[in-house]
Amino acid sequence: MATAGMRSLYRRWLDRRMPAARQQQLTQRRIFILPTGYGVFFMVIAGSLFLGGINYENNLIMALSFLMTSLFMIAILHTFRNLSGLVLRAGRMAPGFAGTDGALELVLHAGDQQAHTGLWLAYPGAAPEEVSVSPGEEKNVWLSVPLRRRGYNRAGRVRIESRYPLGLLRAWSLLDMDQACLGWPRPLASEECPAGGGEQLQGQYAGRQRGSDDFQGLRSYQEGDSPRQVDWKAYAAGRGLHSKHFADPAEGWLWLDWSLLPAMDTETRLGRLAWWVLALEQRQQRYGLRLPGTELPPALGADQRRRALDMLGLYGENIQGGEH
Amino acid sequence: MQKLHDALERVGKVVLGKDEQIRLAVACMLARGHLLIEDLPGMGKTTLAHALSRIFSLDYQRVQFTSDMLPADILGVSVFDPDSRRFELRKGPVFTQLLLADEINRATPKTQSALLEAMEERQVTQDGESRPLPQPFFVVATQNPLDQGGTFPLPESQLDRFLMRISLGYPAPEAEMSLLRAGDLRERALDMSPALTVAELMALMAEVEQVHASEDLLDYLQRLLEHSRGCGWFTAGLSPRAGLGVLRAARAWALLDKRKYVIPEDIQAVLKPVCEHRLQSASGGTAGGAASRLLEAVPVVR
Amino acid sequence: MRVYQVPQHAFLLLVGGALLAAAPHLLLGPPWLRILLPLLLLARVLIQRGRLAMPGRMVRVVLLAGVVLGTLYTHGTVLGPEAGTCLLIAAFGLKTLEMFRLRDAYVLLVLGYFVLATTFLFYQSPLAALYVFVVMVLLTASLVGINRPETGARSRTHLRLASVMLLQALPLMVLLFVLVPRIAPLWALEFQSEGARTGMSDSMAPGEVSRLTESTELAFRVEFEGAVPSPAERYWRGMTYSLFDGRRWSQASPGGLPRPDLVIFPGQGTAPWHEQLQAQHAAMADTDAAPVYRYRVVQEASRRPWLYTLAVPFVRGPARGIGQVRDFRLVKEGDIEQRFAYSVESYPLLTAAVGLPDWERDFNLALPELGNPRSRQLAQRLFDAEGGDVEAYALRVLAHFRQEPFYYTLEPPLLGGNTVDEFLFDTRRGFCEHYASAFAFMMRAAGVPARIVAGYQGGELNPVGNHLRVHQYHAHAWAEIWIDGQGWVEFDPTGAVAPERIERGMDRFLGREMGALQNLLSGAAFSRNPLLARLRNSIDYLQFSWQKWVLGYDESSQMAFLERWLKDVSPLRIGLVLLIGTVAILLPVALWVLLRRRGPPRSPLQREYRALRKQLLRSNIAVSEGLPPRAVSETVARACPAAADAIRAWVSQYEQAAYAEHADAQALQRLRRLRRALRWRLRRSALSG
Repeated sequence: MATAGMRSLYRRWLDRRMPAARQQQLTQRRIFILPTGYGVFFMVIAGSLFLGGINYENNLIMALSFLMTSLFMIAILHTFRNLSGLVLRAGRMAPGFAGTDGALELVLHAGDQQAHTGLWLAYPGAAPEEVSVSPGEEKNVWLSVPLRRRGYNRAGRVRIESRYPLGLLRAWSLLDMDQACLGWPRPLASEECPAGGGEQLQGQYAGRQRGSDDFQGLRSYQEGDSPRQVDWKAYAAGRGLHSKHFADPAEGWLWLDWSLLPAMDTETRLGRLAWWVLALEQRQQRYGLRLPGTELPPALGADQRRRALDMLGLYGENIQGGEH
Repeated sequence: MQKLHDALERVGKVVLGKDEQIRLAVACMLARGHLLIEDLPGMGKTTLAHALSRIFSLDYQRVQFTSDMLPADILGVSVFDPDSRRFELRKGPVFTQLLLADEINRATPKTQSALLEAMEERQVTQDGESRPLPQPFFVVATQNPLDQGGTFPLPESQLDRFLMRISLGYPAPEAEMSLLRAGDLRERALDMSPALTVAELMALMAEVEQVHASEDLLDYLQRLLEHSRGCGWFTAGLSPRAGLGVLRAARAWALLDKRKYVIPEDIQAVLKPVCEHRLQSASGGTAGGAASRLLEAVPVVR
Repeated sequence: MRVYQVPQHAFLLLVGGALLAAAPHLLLGPPWLRILLPLLLLARVLIQRGRLAMPGRMVRVVLLAGVVLGTLYTHGTVLGPEAGTCLLIAAFGLKTLEMFRLRDAYVLLVLGYFVLATTFLFYQSPLAALYVFVVMVLLTASLVGINRPETGARSRTHLRLASVMLLQALPLMVLLFVLVPRIAPLWALEFQSEGARTGMSDSMAPGEVSRLTESTELAFRVEFEGAVPSPAERYWRGMTYSLFDGRRWSQASPGGLPRPDLVIFPGQGTAPWHEQLQAQHAAMADTDAAPVYRYRVVQEASRRPWLYTLAVPFVRGPARGIGQVRDFRLVKEGDIEQRFAYSVESYPLLTAAVGLPDWERDFNLALPELGNPRSRQLAQRLFDAEGGDVEAYALRVLAHFRQEPFYYTLEPPLLGGNTVDEFLFDTRRGFCEHYASAFAFMMRAAGVPARIVAGYQGGELNPVGNHLRVHQYHAHAWAEIWIDGQGWVEFDPTGAVAPERIERGMDRFLGREMGALQNLLSGAAFSRNPLLARLRNSIDYLQFSWQKWVLGYDESSQMAFLERWLKDVSPLRIGLVLLIGTVAILLPVALWVLLRRRGPPRSPLQREYRALRKQLLRSNIAVSEGLPPRAVSETVARACPAAADAIRAWVSQYEQAAYAEHADAQALQRLRRLRRALRWRLRRSALSG
């Protein structure tokens, strides 16, 4: 109980001190610094040398212990400097399925005169990434973020830490980059494809999608040539997808449709649809997607898959921070 | 040189009150760059392109882009000639010296990229065979910024192929008065007699490359580029290609000013048309006023 | 087990640093260590290269056991500094075979610092300190290296950063060194460094001091506050011999005498004689006119407790571990095992301060019952001839040495049973101990309390540091007699025989007496070449300063130093100064480190442009930095039409110089001229406006 209270107090203090922003510079206010265990060990050695110097009345040993102490103090400044001045900018995001990891991009920018070496960045719950930025350079890192739920997962505070140059001290900052990562619904396998055949077989897209380099220069093709009709009813009845109709991608498309799923909770519906997006993608079957209020025109390929999954992930979410 | 200024003056008589834009367009041509004009219909885009082609005695083709247009419509078609029993290329409109690509954003991405590739490489590759485009080769593309329905806006990577993007805008009151008095100037543009031969134009283009850019000037340009990357206003800073573009355009601008060396004013004059279409504001949307912000922030001399 | 791969760019630094940190010990340590450590490092290199597998636990345990046994075999123990460092070095080497994780590399490096520090147990010269600093740079650079995991890094950048950091740390180290209070050792440590006892011993037989003169080793250095005493006054008293057994003089005290009657150490109570001495000292110190010498001695390790001072010495500052002896000497508690520094003031007039109680009178008159009859007779005859006047008698004996054919020589003949008789009447050739011994015998034979003093006489002045160097060949023995009313008075019979030995110094005397080789060693050859002499003196001065200020910077010199600068020395004050000093030193470094956004490098032309902008600002014409030159000129022309032509001329010149292809060499001067003209215009218009 007490620790939970402390933690929320700490979090509120952090929020006041370092509010969320999509671009931030590491300044004095934002950097914390403490010795590492190794730094403590180093100072213990320096202390024991001091005692040795006293006991053997050996001024040089004492001087060496003072030099180690001074080096430690100078290292505070250098470690601090290694973080200070770094500019971080929130970048793109790479969504993933809920329950797995997504990734967020951070762009690090160093000033003209200053390098930032050996930085470790991590979002809570994920493995850190190491990066160094040379003076005047811009570097981007992708940090993985655990996606606990479908929809936008707020990433929390990114921890940026460095022990460079001597490893005696750890300087770090916890920045809220105002980033969120989209979690797609976790795919749920199902036998029945929630799809209806496209009655509307003619459209603006048809011609375009069929086009490929082979057609260049052959004017004989006429836009709107109908492909053969598919027996959608049989398919919708659940007789499986191994029909020869799917062999030719140019021949038709399916509409994955929310309303075709029997009454079940939202997440399950989205999960089924996601599974079918993947399944159709794997079978090279063109598909469109209909959710209440939105619609994705039929197509095939990585872009379509991404758009469809995004749409599922975003369903019912307030649009926020989804710049990508 | 004098002929060039005559030319500018004469184009100015056809496209009224737009001396600045005419100058930029000519600088763009002298710098061997392609031009994107973003404007509403009826602002004189076509007239400008036409006038430019006439005054520099260039072959001229105009293509109106539509969504059902295929790459072949631009580049040309291989047809089977029954007499010779061979495929022959029927050259498309791209084989010209000045191509006006009207409403380029109406074409599908595939067609757009076919054109843009030709622009970049200055040759057309079909059936494994490369055919060079005529020399010189300019593309003046137009697009309508308000026209959203059924259009395919050029992606950033493609916008980069245009050296400059300008817009003409409404004429000033006096200019508009003269326009009204003079009637449709498009006719007059067709009647214009050439002021320079193609050879003379090519010589000028070669001269542009000889314009001197001192270390101090390059330093200024470099700091501008660097600031665009470090300031955080944009999702991505200016690319090295953009920097080279600015320099080429500034050289041409200096030559138009009859100078053999580039001064910071040249950079400042061309920065907006060369850079703004390549930048995207970090807060979303286009980077309007980006150039002037950059110019304010970066000292001309260290 | 997966082996931690030290980054390639740090590996060489790490191995080199480890080897160099241990190197001084390898020179001193047992032969097996000398072979083992390089082998271990070689093994580590091979492991890094993948040529050798990491040794298993068994191998490491066996190696460790072997190391412990080896140490036991060599030193007979695993405790104590020598055995301890031996073990430490070996363990340090073994640790290299145990680098499984990054953490082990850290531990190895910190052990490296520790090993490096133990170098100072055996070597303390400035060169040793420099060496340690350089190795410290290497170790610190390895530390930088292992904190930089990416492979592209360069060792050179690590070295540069480590050097910069250590150099930045130096001022703070000096501050800590000067200000952190020296405290007493927390527990007693016996540190037996190897090496023979040097210098005087606690007894003296004829021929023993002359053996010392063959050594050119340094005994101690002295630095005076104020004038250096003349050579004839430089009698460095080390010990007194009061017991004579017919041949040998020894340091001894009457049996049954309590120790406090002879020597008082601080904090160990007091005795009447000591209080008396202290009272007289205090009284003397109050009279400004009293002759006094104030000086600081830095004594080389002698493995004996005696300190060397001028007559009637008192320790200045905290006298921890230094005892005051009844016969006007100082001794250290325990032997001097390493170089030892102490500050002294000597009052030559206090020689009667303690008095001469009966037991002491008897003790200093005692002679063996038999032996040396001829000398006793001579003594009685001369004493009677002077009518029993002690001082006249002593001078008469000295005159005897002078007038009779006595010779001062380094190679005296051997003496038989009656040493004094044989010397006084037969051989008449001797060194200082012969003369001192004979003199003291004659005194005692006549009933005058007398004793032998042993120590050093003279010292070679180093004009660079204005300090004295006293060598072993300055060893000397002389006598003291008690004269009522004057106390113990010094008599040097050697001076009667060989006055140049006392007045011009042993160095000149030796120059004549010694062979060419010793001549060279004593430095006499150096003194003939002025350049070499100066070089030698400078090096000596450097060593002395090092000893005085670094090695010998102890509690008392710290107190003296702090009193001079802080006046009132209190822990609070020291703490405050330490704090302020630390901040004062770290602040510039902090500013340098944190705000090192160096301005862009500017060319002369760019500086000229800056100068113009500054000038415009002074005239209250604000020009944005982003404005190009021509726009600047238009802004100025609008703001101050009178200056329009001037600014346009300047700008057009500037444009030519900065941007045109063929800038001319004179452009800069012309620009400056034009700027002056502009300034004139701007000022005039400001005045008229």
